[in-house]
Amino acid sequence: MAAPDYKELISRLPRTFGPALNDQLHQWEMLFPAEQRQLKAQMDWLAALPPAEFKTLFAPIVQVEDRMDLPKWQPGSTGLSIHDVGVMARSPLYPQWRQQVEKVFGRIDDAIQASGAMKPVPRLVVSILPAGLPKPGDPLWPELAEVGQWVQLDRPFLKVEETLVPAIVKRKAPAGLEPDETTWVIECGKRLSAESGGVTSLSWDALEKVRREFLNRLNGISRDIKSADQTTNDLKRLDIRKLLDPATGASPRLREFLRGILLSGNGSLVFNNSFVQWAASEALRRAQPQVLLAGFGLRQKLKPFSSVVLFEDQNRSNPTPDQDDPAGSLTDAAFLAQYVYLAAQRVSAYQGHTVSVFAMEELDRVLVVDPRGKQNVPARLTGEALTARIVAWLTGAA
Amino acid sequence: MMNRRTLIQTLIAAVAQRLAAAPAAAVHARSKRLVLVTIGGIRRQESFSEKGIVNVPHLFNDLLPQSLFYPYTVNEGVTSHFNSIASILTGVWQHVDDWGSEKPTHPTMFHYLKAGRPADPNDCWVVTSNKQLTANISPGINVILAKQLLIEAVERIIMGQSSRKSLEREQLLQEMKAVLETDYERIGWGVPATSTFQDPTVKKTFVDALAGFIHGPTAPVSGDELTLTVGMEVLKRLAPAMLMMNFSDVEVAHSGSYSLHLGGIRRSDMLCHKLWQFIQASPELKENTTLLIMNEFGRDPDGSSTNGFFNHRTDTETCRMAWSMVLGPAIRKPQVVERVVRQIDFAPSMGSWMGFEAVKAAGAHLPEIVG
Repeated sequence: MAAPDYKELISRLPRTFGPALNDQLHQWEMLFPAEQRQLKAQMDWLAALPPAEFKTLFAPIVQVEDRMDLPKWQPGSTGLSIHDVGVMARSPLYPQWRQQVEKVFGRIDDAIQASGAMKPVPRLVVSILPAGLPKPGDPLWPELAEVGQWVQLDRPFLKVEETLVPAIVKRKAPAGLEPDETTWVIECGKRLSAESGGVTSLSWDALEKVRREFLNRLNGISRDIKSADQTTNDLKRLDIRKLLDPATGASPRLREFLRGILLSGNGSLVFNNSFVQWAASEALRRAQPQVLLAGFGLRQKLKPFSSVVLFEDQNRSNPTPDQDDPAGSLTDAAFLAQYVYLAAQRVSAYQGHTVSVFAMEELDRVLVVDPRGKQNVPARLTGEALTARIVAWLTGAA
Repeated sequence: MMNRRTLIQTLIAAVAQRLAAAPAAAVHARSKRLVLVTIGGIRRQESFSEKGIVNVPHLFNDLLPQSLFYPYTVNEGVTSHFNSIASILTGVWQHVDDWGSEKPTHPTMFHYLKAGRPADPNDCWVVTSNKQLTANISPGINVILAKQLLIEAVERIIMGQSSRKSLEREQLLQEMKAVLETDYERIGWGVPATSTFQDPTVKKTFVDALAGFIHGPTAPVSGDELTLTVGMEVLKRLAPAMLMMNFSDVEVAHSGSYSLHLGGIRRSDMLCHKLWQFIQASPELKENTTLLIMNEFGRDPDGSSTNGFFNHRTDTETCRMAWSMVLGPAIRKPQVVERVVRQIDFAPSMGSWMGFEAVKAAGAHLPEIVG
């Protein structure tokens, strides 16, 4: 899809919308198909709005903006610097502005949904906790268990996964989905990527070189905002292809997606499980794949004193031997798996159209949240039956 | 989660139990001292709630029954660290650059305190983990970035910029002493006059604190533990009229480890208790020192578009509603105050107890505080 021209429309929108929208249009080719469709639908709907309604829709935002001390953006400004974000966030009117923006986008998205422009497809999100964790003392995911159903399997999930993942990958995807909208794997290790062969995948372990390069550069930031902005801009321009495996390096969209993840904090450069959660949440929001598999992992214990410099290599100059933190990893991964589920619930494409599965590799039970209700999920299933049900759901045969 | 009514009833019961067993509150001594402790972002669900109390056993069981506790202390300003701390200190919501390039736009409690007393370079001390909290926060105060000293020493060793090559306790102590000797200004420490650091008492205060941290019986390693060790040494040797400490281990939440965030909350809980025990064990401090403990804000709700507990920027009750606890001679009696108060109410209230008027503060005087 070619980049549309919305210059005239953007000039009529509230001032605070310009830099972010210009940035998105400027990088149109780097947007995923779902993002392009959504942005185009939003802008086309706004462009078609009668002038009086357009004015009424944005009036509350414009009124707040008029009272805010905003950065001096030019009409073609693209993106927001750390300084710009800081200026907006510390404005006494920022909470009001944010509330009004959320309201307006809620209205726009409701209108697009009602128009039927975005056709829903059945979706699947699977979160997998690794082997080697202690047996949970308390029941896992108690809030989700209220809306979902625990399913007893005939073998540990790790054994089920060996056939389940290839079957998901081989399914017939719904018509109209592009390759990077079908299946994504985001994981700490490399096993799921290997099992699923050829799908879009990001592995914390496989990304070590690029993570180290980003950390080294970010560690060089001195105590001022100019230095932070400069380093961020340098990292936005850095050619990272040579630091990535060939498949990731060859895809400009995936490369830029990854760069965005590593530059947007949220622990993506620090902890393996944070990387999985944040990358999965962003993939759900942006790429909107039909299937997302999130594989969590074991984190090592932080070492004495090195732990005060989280962005540094924890092994450097530290005589304390490496040691896994199974208990901490269980707490982190279980909590973050729930965050992946919540991230999907915020995206309209997934709301009411997604089966969510929560598994622990060594456990012979999985928690299934089915949008059709928990009564639709049997309490016992063989591995083959679970696989068949999931594939049937994704292909519309269920 | 525990609702407001149940929470209040539980808290009141805890206070009542203590009141029945304790003698009447002590009378004031002549010189009043304030120790203010702020902790980064802690949500109610991980602290003062049915599920969260397990993370704050000392605050709940040991300190709350003898305290004036405001479980609903709202932060109506910018929920960032520098702005929140500056708002508490000034009694006015601050909207300044959070990177510390701008000073608070109103006088702080330190400023008011110093204005009403004969000049004493050791009156006001800040021991903090917040890099932005330099001497800019208020003129004429001493600012010690304890955690930054530890970070600097660790980084020098691991980057190969030191003759010491390993993060072993003794080598780290030597490196911290070396930074203290040569580089304290570069890492952001601020004192009213350079002679302050040459003062043998002041120097010994830091060296002893560092040695205490490195050789402590509980093998401390975290930035907050160092902050407390230095803070207690400052109290013991320099006895300032006002000392502020900022704990920030809970902020590991920004990197998304929930277990380490909970560990940070439990450590803050333990350190606050240790600090109060230290004050109570000191004949010079016991009768005249008030301890005020506040979390700066909560954190974002699970499921928010800002990635939940990682951050603290939503305009939600989960993020804005904090709590505050006052212990010592400034309180009329231990009690739990059910109404919502504001963080900016504490500057005028504590000022009133200490004997200064925070004339520019927008907050109100809290009647439960002696003034």
